[in-house]
Amino acid sequence: MRALVIDDSRAMRRIVSSILEGLGYETRPAGHGREALDVLEEGWVPDLACIDWNMPVMDGLQFVSAVRANPSWRSVTLMMVTTESEHGQIVRALAAGAHEYVIKPFTPDAFADKLSLLGLLPTASEVSA
Amino acid sequence: MTATIAELITVETVTDVAGEVWSAMVGADEVLVPDGGSAPAGTSAWVTVTGPWNGAVVLTCSPSATDDLTRAVLQLRPDEEPEAEDVDDVLRELANILGGNVKSLLPGPSVLGLPETGTPPPARPGSSTVAVSWRGHPIAITVQGATEAPELTTTEVPL
Amino acid sequence: MTAATALGPAGFDWVCQLVRRESAIVLAPGKEYLVEARLLPLARQLGLSGVAEFVDRVRSRPDPAVNRKIVEALTTNETSWFRDGDPFTALTSTVVPALQAARRPGEELRIWSAACSSGQEAYTVAMLLADSLPNATSRVKITATDLSRDMVARTRAGRFSQLEVNRGLPASMLVRHFTRSGAEWEVAPALRQMVTASELNLAAPLPRLGPFDVVYLRNVLIYFDPPTKRTVLQKVRQLMRPDGWLFLGAAETTLGVDDTWERVPCGRGSAYRPMRGK
Repeated sequence: MRALVIDDSRAMRRIVSSILEGLGYETRPAGHGREALDVLEEGWVPDLACIDWNMPVMDGLQFVSAVRANPSWRSVTLMMVTTESEHGQIVRALAAGAHEYVIKPFTPDAFADKLSLLGLLPTASEVSA
Repeated sequence: MTATIAELITVETVTDVAGEVWSAMVGADEVLVPDGGSAPAGTSAWVTVTGPWNGAVVLTCSPSATDDLTRAVLQLRPDEEPEAEDVDDVLRELANILGGNVKSLLPGPSVLGLPETGTPPPARPGSSTVAVSWRGHPIAITVQGATEAPELTTTEVPL
Repeated sequence: MTAATALGPAGFDWVCQLVRRESAIVLAPGKEYLVEARLLPLARQLGLSGVAEFVDRVRSRPDPAVNRKIVEALTTNETSWFRDGDPFTALTSTVVPALQAARRPGEELRIWSAACSSGQEAYTVAMLLADSLPNATSRVKITATDLSRDMVARTRAGRFSQLEVNRGLPASMLVRHFTRSGAEWEVAPALRQMVTASELNLAAPLPRLGPFDVVYLRNVLIYFDPPTKRTVLQKVRQLMRPDGWLFLGAAETTLGVDDTWERVPCGRGSAYRPMRGK
C-alpha cells in the first residue's frame, strides 16, 4: 500500500512516514498541497493521503477539495493530520471530503487504530510482498 | 471590552496541553515538571492566532534543551548530532501543535499562522507563561495576546 | 528483601513477569523508576510507605484485583474505541437484528459492559445503537461496571482527552456525538443517559443486574485463575437472557473453562451463547 505524507514540517513528515512504513506502507513526502497534486498528476496515486491543514502555497483543505474534484482520484482515502482541533474545523474538513481526522498530538497507535477502521491496515502478506 | 489571556485560559490548562504534547510527540514517559520560574533565554518558536482573540503561542527552550528535544522527537541515536534545520523544524512543529490546541480553547473562529523561529513578537502585558523543566532543561510556553481588534499595522497575511 | 524503600531486582522482575503474562507488554530493564512512580499511589492506598513493601505484600498475599491494578498502572495506553472492532460490527450486523426479531417491538435492550475502564466500550455501543436503532436513547439501557472507583467516575463523566478521542473513534462519530469542553471532549447528554456506571467486583458475589441481552466481558478473564474464570462465567450467565450474546476478548474463550456456552460465528469473529438445557 502507498501513502502520500503532506506536511510543511519535515520533522512531521518523517514521524508520520516512519509510523506508516512500520505498518507496511510505501510512502512519499510532499511539503504542501500543490506539491502533493504534482505527485498525483505524475501518476503516483496512493491508497492514503495524510494531510496537514496549515501549509504554505496550498493548504490541506484546498488539497482535499482538489482531489475530490477529480474522479480518477476517487480511490484515495484522505486523512487530515493536523493541530486544528475545534469541533467546527473537523466538520469543515469532513464536509470538504476528508474521510478521517487525526488530531496532533497523536501517539503512533492512533494511526493503526484509524487505518484499521478504514480497512487500510496492510495484511502480513501485503507487507512481505 | 478586552479580555486578558489569564481570564480565558488557566496556567493549569496550558500545562495539561503541553503535557499531552510531550507524552505523545516526545515520548510516552516524558514529563514536564512545573518549576515556577520565568521563560529561559534561548531559542523561541511561535505561531500567531488571528480572530476574536489575537496573539501568539510561544515555545522557548534553553540552548541545552533544543538538541535533546530534537533527538527525542526524531528518535535519533544519543550520539547523533541533529542538523540545525531539524532543530528549528522540530521547535516550529511543537509550537504549531501547542498553538493549535491552545487556539481551540480560545474564542473563535480564528486562524493559526504558520510557525516561525527567531525573535518572537514582543510580549504584551497580561501574557501568561508556563515555566517547566524537561529532563532538567528549562522550557517555557507563553500565551500572549488579548481579545481585541487585530492591529492594523500587522504584517501577517491571514490565510 | 526486607521492606526497604527502593524496589530491588527481585521485586522488579516479579512486576515485569506479571505485566508480561497479563498484558504481553515487556518492561525493559532500566524502567525501575517508572515502576516506582506508577505503583507508589497503589502502595499508599494500602497505607504502605514504599513500593518494595507493596510488592512484598502482593507476592505473599496474591489478589487478582491488585494484580490487575498493577498491570493497569503500568500499561497506560489509552483504550481504543472500537477496540478489536469485530464485537462492535457484529452488534449492529448480527446481534441486534436477531434480538429485534425475537423481542416485542420497542422492548428494552439491556447491554452490560462488564469491565468498562474509562467508558469507551459502553459509549461505542451507545453511539452505534443511537445511529442504527430508532428510539435507541429510550430503548437501550447500558450498564457499565468496573472494579475501579476512578474508572467508574470517568465513565460517568463521559469526558475524554484529545489523545483518547484520537484512538480509533471515527471522526464522523466524534463530531456527531461529542462537544468540546475545555481541553476535553464530552459525550452528548442523550448518550450519557443510556449508560449507568457503577463499581462491581466480578470475583465477588454479583448484585441482581440485568437480565442482559448482550454482555461485553473483554480482556478481564485473563486476570483470573481457571476456577475463578469458571465461576465468573457462571455468574455472568445467570444475569443473561437465555438467548443472549456474550463477547470475550480476542485472546479469551469459554472452551475448556466452562462448557455451558456455545461458541457461534458472529461477524468476522465469534460470540458465546448460553447452551440450552445447561
